[in-house]
Amino acid sequence: MDLSAVVSWSDVSTERREIEANKGEREAREERNTEREQIKQLERLIGRERFNRWFMREGERQSWGYHHALCNGFVHAIGDLEPYIDTPLQAVVFTDINLENAIEFNDYCHSHQPSIAFIKADVRGLFGSVFCDFGPEFTVFDVDGEEPHTGIIASISNDSSALVSCVDDERLEFQDGDLVIFSEIRGMTELNDGKPRKIINARPYCFNLDEDTTNFGAYERGGIVTQVKQPKVLHFKPLREALKDPGDFLLSDFSKFDRPPLLHLAFQALDKFLSELGCYPVAGSEEDAQKLISIASNINESLGDEKLDDINPKLLRYFAFGARAVLNPMAAMFGGIVGQEVVKACSGKFHPLFQFFYFDSVESLPTEPLEPSDFRPLNSRYDAQISVFGSKLQKKLEDAQVFVVGSGALGCEFLKNLALMGVSCGSKGKLTLTDDDVIEKSNLSRQFLFRDWNIGQAKSTVAASAAASINPRLHIEALQNRVGPETENVFDDTFWENLNVVVNALDNVNARLYVDQRCLYFQKPLLESGTLGAKCNTQMIIPHLTENYGASRDPPEKQAPMCTVHSFPHNIDHCLTWARSEFEGLLEKTPAEVNAYLSNASEYASAMRNAGDAQARDNLERVLECLDKERCHTFQDCITWARIKFEDYFANRVKQLIFTFPEDAATSTGAPFWSAPKRCPHPLLFSVADPSHLYFIMAASILRAETFGIPIPDWVKHPKKLAEAVDKVIVPEFQPKKDLKIATDEKDTSLSTASVDDSAVINDLIMKLEQCRKNLLPEFRMKPVQFEKDDDTNYHMDLIAALANMRARNYSIPEVDKLKAKFIAGRIIPAIATSTAMATGLVCLELYKVLDGGHKLEDYRNTFANLALPLFSMAEPVPPKVIKHRDMSWTVWDRWILNDNPTLKELLRWLSDKGLNAYSISFGSCLLYNSMFPHHKARMDKKMVDLAREVAKVELPPYRRHLDVVVACEDDEDNDVDIPQISIYFR
Amino acid sequence: MSSPSKRREMDLMKLMMSDYKVEMINDGMQEFYVEFHGPKDCPYHGGVWRIRVELPDAYPYKSPSIGFINKIYHPNVDEMSGSVCLDVINQTWSPMFDLVNVFEVFLPQLLLYPNPSDPLNGEAAALMMRDRTTYDQRVKEYCEKYAKPEDADAAPEAKSCDEELSEDEYACSDEEVAGKADP
Repeated sequence: MDLSAVVSWSDVSTERREIEANKGEREAREERNTEREQIKQLERLIGRERFNRWFMREGERQSWGYHHALCNGFVHAIGDLEPYIDTPLQAVVFTDINLENAIEFNDYCHSHQPSIAFIKADVRGLFGSVFCDFGPEFTVFDVDGEEPHTGIIASISNDSSALVSCVDDERLEFQDGDLVIFSEIRGMTELNDGKPRKIINARPYCFNLDEDTTNFGAYERGGIVTQVKQPKVLHFKPLREALKDPGDFLLSDFSKFDRPPLLHLAFQALDKFLSELGCYPVAGSEEDAQKLISIASNINESLGDEKLDDINPKLLRYFAFGARAVLNPMAAMFGGIVGQEVVKACSGKFHPLFQFFYFDSVESLPTEPLEPSDFRPLNSRYDAQISVFGSKLQKKLEDAQVFVVGSGALGCEFLKNLALMGVSCGSKGKLTLTDDDVIEKSNLSRQFLFRDWNIGQAKSTVAASAAASINPRLHIEALQNRVGPETENVFDDTFWENLNVVVNALDNVNARLYVDQRCLYFQKPLLESGTLGAKCNTQMIIPHLTENYGASRDPPEKQAPMCTVHSFPHNIDHCLTWARSEFEGLLEKTPAEVNAYLSNASEYASAMRNAGDAQARDNLERVLECLDKERCHTFQDCITWARIKFEDYFANRVKQLIFTFPEDAATSTGAPFWSAPKRCPHPLLFSVADPSHLYFIMAASILRAETFGIPIPDWVKHPKKLAEAVDKVIVPEFQPKKDLKIATDEKDTSLSTASVDDSAVINDLIMKLEQCRKNLLPEFRMKPVQFEKDDDTNYHMDLIAALANMRARNYSIPEVDKLKAKFIAGRIIPAIATSTAMATGLVCLELYKVLDGGHKLEDYRNTFANLALPLFSMAEPVPPKVIKHRDMSWTVWDRWILNDNPTLKELLRWLSDKGLNAYSISFGSCLLYNSMFPHHKARMDKKMVDLAREVAKVELPPYRRHLDVVVACEDDEDNDVDIPQISIYFR
Repeated sequence: MSSPSKRREMDLMKLMMSDYKVEMINDGMQEFYVEFHGPKDCPYHGGVWRIRVELPDAYPYKSPSIGFINKIYHPNVDEMSGSVCLDVINQTWSPMFDLVNVFEVFLPQLLLYPNPSDPLNGEAAALMMRDRTTYDQRVKEYCEKYAKPEDADAAPEAKSCDEELSEDEYACSDEEVAGKADP
């Protein structure tokens, strides 16, 4: 049996390295010796070719992941164990093994010292099961993989059970029983001792503490509370006991809440069938099915109190029919689940599956009943699939016209699945794949169709040829176009009209929304999925049956308030957001502004004069700085610039801020200004002895040199030489702007000193710039640097991390390393192969339904899963909203058509005849008509198509016969009515 | 509630129905200017500002971005860029809010009750905390200097001045509807 290989190998090795680092070297060696023994014993017990194993040895691991990748994501049984004999064995995965043997091996693993994690997985047709036993005592270090929760303290009471209140910035996420530690508290300093304390009575903005603080010092201010993650110890039962007493099953679908005990019985019955008859039931054989049902019934009768009321013979019949078949989507899904369990067993990260999981997807079967002849093998590679779904559906799969959008992590998995299923492998089939990205090194951990020699090549091309080598019959075309309005000449109406189904494999919401709109327009089913670390979700968008993707949305990402980022950061995210924006200003925007000025000085100057505002003034000042006093000629100039920037950012600005708001400043109400969540900053004193200061200078000067095209000398990377160069820089003394103080003394003249007329300053700046320009070579240009997080050698992330960390130091916020900075600044949550494989498996189970056609809403499933917990939640998709008006009703899938090239007036009349009063008509993002604009009345007698041409400046190609407008209207009672898009045919 | 695609139209319509002077940029519905009058009983009374409103693609799920075009002296408005730091139009925005809320409630409240504890213009905040009288005076001076009705009228971005736009402008300036500022 095949399972998709889905362990994220790099993750495993990091975790494992940490664990090993915590063990003594001697201990580790001893462990290796005992494990050598284990292998030998296991070998004796098992026989060589019988089991598939995951090898968790350091060093081998990378090549193993690689080997798996070479097998196109499939694990194969390992024949020869000899080369791996000294492998420390932490986990064993058994597939395709009978219960009797499984129990024997499990007993061995369970009682072994230390115990070996035992995982048993089976997929039989559309049914699957997993069993985990990680030993009598297994410690989970991190139950959910989430960052520890924190809070910023506002007050603490002196009480027998202290009440801790936090600022109302963000809701607290603590739960009763959580352990927390305190830091930075002023006043009640007894709590800063680092001792974990228990939370009782957790509420959204406060909680009580299991601690008597009556005799503690009185709380003054400050303080941060941080959750301490507690390890959890799990006691697994061995398979022998768990079979009889399975405990709670992990439920995946509430509409099938009674299914797991039934499948628990069914899998045991199948095992008995095998041992009694020596083979599995034949697909389509009623006799074999009846035999299985009677075995199941007998086992059920012997269960006593645990007996099931209904053993659902219909379901058992399906189970019998598919028993010999291993289907690719099921293998992909279970491979994902099992892969994550292996990582859990080896790392202690995330909560293991405890202990049985059963799943079925009988809804994937065709709606029409199948004849025994439909299951007959055709002696093709698809016989397993035919034995479950019949040859008619197989033909539909092969002739399908499919569009896969994206060829990254999800895309690779999909292509492998589709090729193995035979989708688009028939004479009429066609699979179109598009992705405008090229392969990068960091992709290789999960985008397994790519090899290191493919780095730099187009993802879609490489993935297409890899998929074609899995199944040479695959008819695939690889394109490098990003889907969007700009490629509608490539993905034109004919292209869309010919499709049977669209599969999204995208990584961003905007592209998903665009594809959703296109599918909505062309009435095509869209299979949508996404992953986020160990989480994944799938959503089926089926014309007229379900709502569309855009109908429901996640709340947009929370952004930090501008003033917080500007002057009052209180966590590293704020510092990174600031660093990112400073990077962009210094290295991208300003050089681009300089070039804009130099390319056409007079036009630029007049544009700035016209604008005449503070922004224009600021632009000019920055351009002048680059061309005048801060212009760099040599690398030493760049170091000077970097050193002065350091002083400006991390000393002067902070001094100015403290000057404006001294540490003891009070607000109008008398409360301290610097109170939580605001943190009072402290200026940094530059020192060449501080490596992080020097690091900033290095990254900043290198990138500054890049913008001026100055060669970068090698010595910049030698701290000593760099330090010498920095020491040469003379840094001017800081003088706070006393403007404010003066203003309070001399009230009358305040404004004139505070803001001189912008336009006068702008004129002056332009004059100065002209002078500078005369001294420049006419071809002089700066080189703007565009932020690229993925290149480790370009110093971009180095500068961002340095900027953020120095700012963090100003505000006494814990600093982060470059990698963590990259994850936060790039909003990167590492994609892992396990959840990706699972998501695509689930989607392909839905693809059977879509391509068969005729399925009802209740047959489809959307999924949300989190392999870390683990949690599976599958549910019927939401139907589209039906809108009713008079005797009409429609959904988002409907469109109205208006022929004969109407004028605006005719369109309005056509609508008012339906009792709809249109007040606004738009085409794309362009407003064609709004009843509030008096001058739009002049448009009444124009043809709609001419309005679109004139106002929206749209070019309508000769083949285009219609245009689509969005109309906002009200009924006669002034209620808004959400009407369908209107297609206006003009030829 | 109506579908997201129609919310722009509806919200814009409601804003104009409430007698706000709205000026579209290039017939698009993504960006436009709205004339805003300082509320009564505060030093901003009498000031008129041109507010640039940008509706993001994800509107109304994502908040509109709001900026003062002519200068204002206010602790929570960046003096240079005109950006506003206000929780209801940033962090705590909800799709239940619309543009009328922004102009009838949020902005007047911001001008009536500045929050110097979380300043974007630190100088204005410090002055407000230390010397309210001078602060009020400074605000009024700024209003006189930068926020007269004609300041709010001027087209700052003279680019993209096509036929349609100029037509719009004539139409709008003829109307002279005073913005209703009080909440």
